[in-house]
Order: sequence, then structure tokens, then C-alpha cells
Amino acid sequence: MRGRRYTTVSGWLLAPAALFLIVFFVIPLIANMDKSIALSSIMGPGREQTPYTKLFTDPFYLSVIAQTVVLSVGVSVLCLLTGYPVAFYLVRHAGRWSGIVIFMLIAPLLTSIIMRTFGWRVLFARRGLFNEALLNLGWIERPVEFLNGPVPAVVGLVHVLVPFMVLSIAAVLRNIDPRLEESARLLGASRWKTFAKVTLPLSLDGIGSGSIIVFLLANGSFVTLLLLGGGYLQTLPLLIYQQFNTTQDFAFAAAMSNVLLAVAVICLYSQLRILRRRGVRSL
Amino acid sequence: MPSPLQIDGITRRTLLAGTGAVGALALTGDGSRAQAVSKITVTSYGGIWERAVRECFVSDFKKRMNIDAEVLIGGPPQWMSQIEANKDKPPIHVLVATPDSASVAFKSGIVEPITKEKVPNLVDIPQRFIDISYGHGAAFDYGAAGIAYNKDRIKDPPKSIKELVERTIKGEWRAGFPTIAFAPGAQAFIWSFADALGGGVDNLDPFFDAVKKMRKNVVFWTGVTDFLNLMDSGEVDIGIYYDGRTWAHYDTGKNYIGFINPAEGAIMSPVCVMKVKNAPDIAWEYINSMLAPEPQAKFAKIMNFGVTNSKVQYDAVVKERITPWDKTRWPPNEKIGELLPKWTERWNKEIGA
Repeated sequence: MRGRRYTTVSGWLLAPAALFLIVFFVIPLIANMDKSIALSSIMGPGREQTPYTKLFTDPFYLSVIAQTVVLSVGVSVLCLLTGYPVAFYLVRHAGRWSGIVIFMLIAPLLTSIIMRTFGWRVLFARRGLFNEALLNLGWIERPVEFLNGPVPAVVGLVHVLVPFMVLSIAAVLRNIDPRLEESARLLGASRWKTFAKVTLPLSLDGIGSGSIIVFLLANGSFVTLLLLGGGYLQTLPLLIYQQFNTTQDFAFAAAMSNVLLAVAVICLYSQLRILRRRGVRSL
Repeated sequence: MPSPLQIDGITRRTLLAGTGAVGALALTGDGSRAQAVSKITVTSYGGIWERAVRECFVSDFKKRMNIDAEVLIGGPPQWMSQIEANKDKPPIHVLVATPDSASVAFKSGIVEPITKEKVPNLVDIPQRFIDISYGHGAAFDYGAAGIAYNKDRIKDPPKSIKELVERTIKGEWRAGFPTIAFAPGAQAFIWSFADALGGGVDNLDPFFDAVKKMRKNVVFWTGVTDFLNLMDSGEVDIGIYYDGRTWAHYDTGKNYIGFINPAEGAIMSPVCVMKVKNAPDIAWEYINSMLAPEPQAKFAKIMNFGVTNSKVQYDAVVKERITPWDKTRWPPNEKIGELLPKWTERWNKEIGA
């Protein structure tokens, strides 16, 4: 009886969040879906195909969808490779410096993403700090093009998103009992084997949640690609913005945003399947 | 000692003001709408343009009508999307738009026809500037898009668009051009280059061929102030830009920047002002301020842009700098507006978003 009352109260506590989601997520999503289908049927001089047909038959748009997925997966992997050692150091070795490390991780999140992205522009501009230093050292004769391409865009994205990966992994690593690693070492396992057989499997929870957060944020990222990509990377969010602001083809923009959502859900589901198969239970 | 007319905090002044307001509402016959207008929302591009809009037009409107005008920064497509999303109660009351956007606004029925009865200053605007807004507004200023360059780095600047393209391909400098996401770029860059290189509105092949060859020596910019940032940081040395904004930048102490009217002719880039349908009628008064000679002369002095009221007396320095409107190339704006979705798709496929 008491348990049922507790469950009912807990249910009511969820009501504000559920209402918020229904009003600002579910209803707009349905409206967007409806708009993409209703407006798609209107053909005219500017449109010979429905937006969905165009998206799934034109090789250019298929390549944009593929680029969006590849970029998000790639950024997630790079964040994992750069973030895991930081998280490991933070939990196992930072000691009394851990507060400073966490501050350094979180501090960039307190500034606008536009400011951080412009920071890269200032550093890597033709007359920027990096080029000037290389010129002064005599290592290059003329400024090198560091900006405007896939590489600066990916670097910018990793810089923006890696704190999410580090914090997710660190939270799980902190809960792994160090005595398990010590036991493995005492039984003769090397450092690497201890890490591969004990630490890494036990931290899959953190890797899973970090990867999902980074993947979803990279999937919808826009500002960094716009400012650092120089038009060399084309993803769905960039084209959605363009359809709204340049051509005002709302049906095509709505269709692309639905496809982007579907891509995110499919990738998320696949990631969860893979992680669960590997024994991750908390996801 | 309290006034004999003061009743529970109501003074004679508030009583008179209240009575006046009730009388005004009774005369307009539209109490609900008039009561709601404590301010209107108008639109402006960013940077020095915004400052000029506030100092010249918003201040004149406020002084005359005693109503505030909130300035929304952005670009025409974004504003039109906002209006489209709420046509019955538009969040924007006065739209400024490039001619191709004005064409879209007119065709989608989100703006109202302009008349001399509603906007008395319209009588002094040349008809061509009213026609360009399809009789649903008027151009109030214009820039001429030509070649802006760094005088310190380029001692022998190109005289024409054709020469600019040829020398950019050779790698003599790094050029900054607008992307297709920058609305006026369709005229100032795409059509202008196609026209100068032997193509036209129906044949963009020369433009796309040239851009592909120039690509490695080009940086594309999206917002109107981006070009100046790229010039200041040394990222680009030359590009397509507007006379007025170039001179305004020069006047801030950036003496390195110069402007050339290319041999083919600078591109006429007017900005139209339009009243949004279902916006309060007081918005016409703001448009009247934008078309009045004195605010326009002040705007021209700040922006170094040409203005459209024939009674405007330009400042001597500004008069030297502006390009007379009858000596510019006028793009086929309506056709460009129609073709923009196709141009955008081709741009995405051949150049990049």
C-alpha cells in the first residue's frame, strides 16, 4: 500500500518534465513530420521531386547523409581516444590536482561555442599565432592553410565535445575498485593486460554514455562546421539551415530534419545493441 | 500637500492622459490593436548598419510618434521565415529586404501595397526604386558592390571582374567572396561574375567554372561583416564588397582598405523597406521616416551609401564616394529570386555548403 503511494507520488514528480517534453518536443515533432509530408506534395517549377524522393535517390544527398554519420562516428572515436587517457589520469593519478583538472575541463564549457570556435580561427589564420610562429622559426616560407577544411572542423568539434566524454568516463572509473586492478597485477598481469582485461571492460558504461552524448551532439552540430569547415564538409544540419535561410523550402528542411532524427535514432539503437552485447547494463 | 484632483494616487496628469488615450481609441475604432502598440519591431543588418538605422530612422520615428521601435538584427530570409510562421500576428512589423527577397515577400503575400497617402515621402522616390519592390515598398538606400582590396599588399589592383578572376586563379592573392547563404551574394557575386564572364542569369557555367579554378585561393564568408574581419586579420587581400561599408571601414582608421568600381560596372544593391501584412498601421510612419530626406542624408553620411529620396543633399565627402544609381548594373532580381533554389542546389553540389 505504502509502496503504491510512493510510486504514484514519484509518477507525479515526472509530470512537469513529461509535459515539457510533450509540448516542446513531441508536438513540434509531429507538426514537423506533418509539414514535411503535406508540403512535399506541392510540385512546381522549383520542385520536380518530393523532398524524400530527392533525399533518398540523389547521390549528392545520400553522400551528405553518409558524411553526417561518418563525421559523428569519427568525432566520437577521436573524443574517446583523447578523452580516455585524461579521464584515467584524472581518477587514478591527479590526486589533489583533480579539482584543477576538472576545472580546466569544465571552464571551456562556460564560454560560448562561437567564441571557442573563433579562437581556432585566430590561432590558425594565415596571419595567426601558429603561422607567425612557424614563419619566425623559419620552418615555412609562406603561411600555410590550416583553416577551412575537414581537419580544422573535426579538431574544433573534438575540442568542444571531449569534456563530455571525459566526465562520463571519469564518473565510471571513479567507481571501479582499485583493488581489482591491484589483484590482477599481483597475479602477474602486465599493466597493459590489467587495463585491457579489468579496467577497460569495467569502464564500458562510461564509454557508452560518453559516446552517445558526443555522437548526438556531433550529429546536430552546426556552428563549428560553418565557421571552420569552409564549405568542404557538408552535413544535414548545414543544409537544413540553408533551406530555411536561403531557399525557404520548408518542406525540404522539414524532411531533412526528420531524416537527421531517424539517423540519430538508428545509430543510437545500434550503439546500445553493441554495448549491451558487451555487457553494459546501465544504458 | 496633495492636489485636490488626486484620488487614491491618480493625478490630474494621469487622468488627462487616460482620457486622451480613451478618446484616441474611440477615434481609431480599433481599440484592441491600437492599445497593443507600445512599440513596433523593425529589422536591420548588423554592424555599422544597425547603428545608422538606430541613429537615423528609429530616432526620427520615436521623436515624431513617441513610440519605441525595437531593432531585430539578421537577414531577410530569416525574418521572412519568422513572419511566415505567424502571419496573423507577425513578430516583425517592418521588413528590410534585398530585391530578390522583396520579390519572394511580395509573391508570398506577407507585405502590403505602399501608397503616397500612407507614406507621404514616397512622392520624392524615383519610380524605379518603387518598382523594384513591386509597389509593396520602396528602396531607401543602395550600395554598389565592387572590388575592395588591401592597398598595402596589392599595389596594382585589378580594374575589372574578369581581371580579378584571372589573377585569383594565378594565386596572386587570397580573395574573399560571399557564400550563397549571404542573400545579396546571389546578385553581387554569382550573377555579377556570370554576367562579366560571358554568361547570364540563365547560364551560370562561366561562374561555376571560374569558382572551381579559383577555389584554392578563395575564402567564402557568410555574414556581411565577416569580410572586414577577414581583411583585418590578413586572411584575405581582396574581394567583392560594398562601396559604403568599405568607406565606413576606412573612416574607422583602417586606411589600408581601398575600393574600385570594376570596368563592367558595380552591382546595384538596393535595400527595400516593406510593411508586413497585419502589422499595426503605425509601421507606415516608420517607413515614412526611412524615406524622409533628413534621416536619409544622415544615414548616407554614416554609411557612405547612396539614398533614394531625390531631395537629399549629400555631404561633400559622401557625394565623392557614392556611385550614382544610374551608372550601376541592375541585376534581374525577380528571375534571380525564382532561380535561387536551383542555384543553391548547384552551389552545394559543385562548390560546397
